[in-house]
Amino acid sequence: MDNLSKKYLRPRKIPSTACSGCGLGMNHKAVVQAIYDLGLEVEDIVWGTSIGCAGRQTFGTWKGDGFAGTHGRVYAIARGLRLVLPPEKKIILTVGDGDAFGIGLLHLIHSARSNADFTVIVNDNLGYMSTGGQYGWTTPRGSKTDSSPYGMYEQNLMSDGMDVLGVLRNAGATFLARHVSMDGQRAVESIRKGIQNRGFSLIHMVYPCPTNFGSRELGTRDTVKIYNWIKKKAAPLGEEKENTLWATGIYYDASNSRREFSESIHRNIEKIRRTGTI
Amino acid sequence: MKRYLETGNFAITEGAILAGCRFFAGYPITPATELAEAMSSRLPQEGGIFIQGEDECAALHLCVGAALGGYKAMTATSGPGYILYADPYGWAIGSEIPVVILNSGRVGPVSGITGAPGQGEFYLTRYPTQGGNFETIVLAPNSAQEAMAMTVEAFYLSERFRTPVTVLADQLITDGFEDISVPESDGEMEEMGFRTWPRKINRGPEFYPAMDEIDVPPVVLGHNTGALCSDWTPTEEGYDIEQVQAHHKHAYRLIYKVRNHRSLFNHLYEKNFMDDDPDLVVVSYGTPSRVVNTAVKKARQSGLKVGAVRLINLWPFPDEHFRRKTKYLSVELNWDGQLVREVQRAAPKDSEVHFIGSCGDLPTVTDLIEAFERLLQGQSLARRGWELEEW
Repeated sequence: MDNLSKKYLRPRKIPSTACSGCGLGMNHKAVVQAIYDLGLEVEDIVWGTSIGCAGRQTFGTWKGDGFAGTHGRVYAIARGLRLVLPPEKKIILTVGDGDAFGIGLLHLIHSARSNADFTVIVNDNLGYMSTGGQYGWTTPRGSKTDSSPYGMYEQNLMSDGMDVLGVLRNAGATFLARHVSMDGQRAVESIRKGIQNRGFSLIHMVYPCPTNFGSRELGTRDTVKIYNWIKKKAAPLGEEKENTLWATGIYYDASNSRREFSESIHRNIEKIRRTGTI
Repeated sequence: MKRYLETGNFAITEGAILAGCRFFAGYPITPATELAEAMSSRLPQEGGIFIQGEDECAALHLCVGAALGGYKAMTATSGPGYILYADPYGWAIGSEIPVVILNSGRVGPVSGITGAPGQGEFYLTRYPTQGGNFETIVLAPNSAQEAMAMTVEAFYLSERFRTPVTVLADQLITDGFEDISVPESDGEMEEMGFRTWPRKINRGPEFYPAMDEIDVPPVVLGHNTGALCSDWTPTEEGYDIEQVQAHHKHAYRLIYKVRNHRSLFNHLYEKNFMDDDPDLVVVSYGTPSRVVNTAVKKARQSGLKVGAVRLINLWPFPDEHFRRKTKYLSVELNWDGQLVREVQRAAPKDSEVHFIGSCGDLPTVTDLIEAFERLLQGQSLARRGWELEEW
């Protein structure tokens, strides 16, 4: 990551203060790699983050302009910002699963509905890990966490045939993908396509948390064990096995098929200004 | 100058546009809906952006997002929506983002009565978010015309102080039709005392000067200045930090940038018949003050030594009006007594401080004069059931 780091990230914040063995850095690197592959520069991107592990560990890492929203609201801030930034400025949001699929789901759905041009990377450590490890809305059924000591028994957005990406697809998202952090170049490709979509893109990226999820569910902080546990439960789309929890790859790609939020608003304003009507 | 017979909502819309507001995000709620409607019609004509949020929390976040991009932004709501601002309001205070918020008070708690005026958010506007360690600026007009002026003033103060400013009105002000003059030139604006301040852009890495300075340009993203802002305690460059000393600097700034520059807006009040040290001072803000002013004038005609202080700048609370030991009477549109508590605190020890409350309906001039008489004769108001026992 050295060269990428030097070009795009702030030495004050990288390496981050994430726990030893945390998989977030792999996701973060995939995003920065995708940016590099697209030939984008520091000034081309405004970077937003949420709270929790994913938000806090990526806040202020980007050399350019950055902001962190309150819990679950970064999508609404980003929509406001999207309306007033020039269209060529890209907005990338690195957030967590609790932020995106719990407290922020309403705002996320409205971002998809309006097809607002930003790319959301949902870094999913399978629950609320920065608060010590409570279950979230993508925690696999049966997983033990501090708030599901008997195993997680609630229905959630990734259980019983549900898929949070399906919710977002029906809400109007124009690019959706899912990966685990070990997907390497495949994940980079999806993020690249997400950034290229002039509209709402979301990449759901599961990553291992040895400190809280691993220690509670697997009974060990052994990094290799949680990495393998996730890896075994992931398979490329179309190659799913019986125990596959995360089918990886591009879930839905309707890139540039629908008018983007800000473009649509500005086009209408301009017309009203000129003609008094739309 | 163009004259209209129009609502407070119309006046506020025109005031915002005069102040340079080009972004409004709202969510329908009585009695602030018409303001959003007026904005949806007027802003596109001025090249501005109107957007409806998915809720009030989103609406103010959309505004702070637009403000972060360099726009002057505004939202409007009533009590039940104002509480949903807690998140973004705190974010804007902490990140020092200028934004203007209008609250048209109705009858609470919760949904209460939608189409009647109330003053239940006196303290809520002081503490619109959690955590403390900040001062808020709140302006309370008592007419449609003044609502326009205070909207312009709110934008001015929000830019200079780098903080959200609330204009606290009520249903009668926003919905009521009144004679309104809208200035049509900079000269006319100046003539009417309207002050404006352009959006400036923080181009350096320094985010928090850690002092009480005002006129510090806010963070504006998109200019590749490397600017950072967040919901966490910031370092001087905007990085997040978990350190008590850094937090102390941050809190000091959020409190004292406002406290130490109150002279910029503490002239915002009205006093009537206060020159001869009246035996009873009637305190109010917003719509009830109009009844109070009439009642005090009539009381004077019949020889009662009564004066009136009307607050426009509500927060930080102007203690200086309550230095004299005398009888005070707070007239409010709530039954629980809010402003009265602050008057009690500010007045000299052992001052008599009384309260008349009502909600959804204004007190009458006759009722007020009778109350003045009773208080001046040393009688209590409790017999009438106006007051809570402890007042």
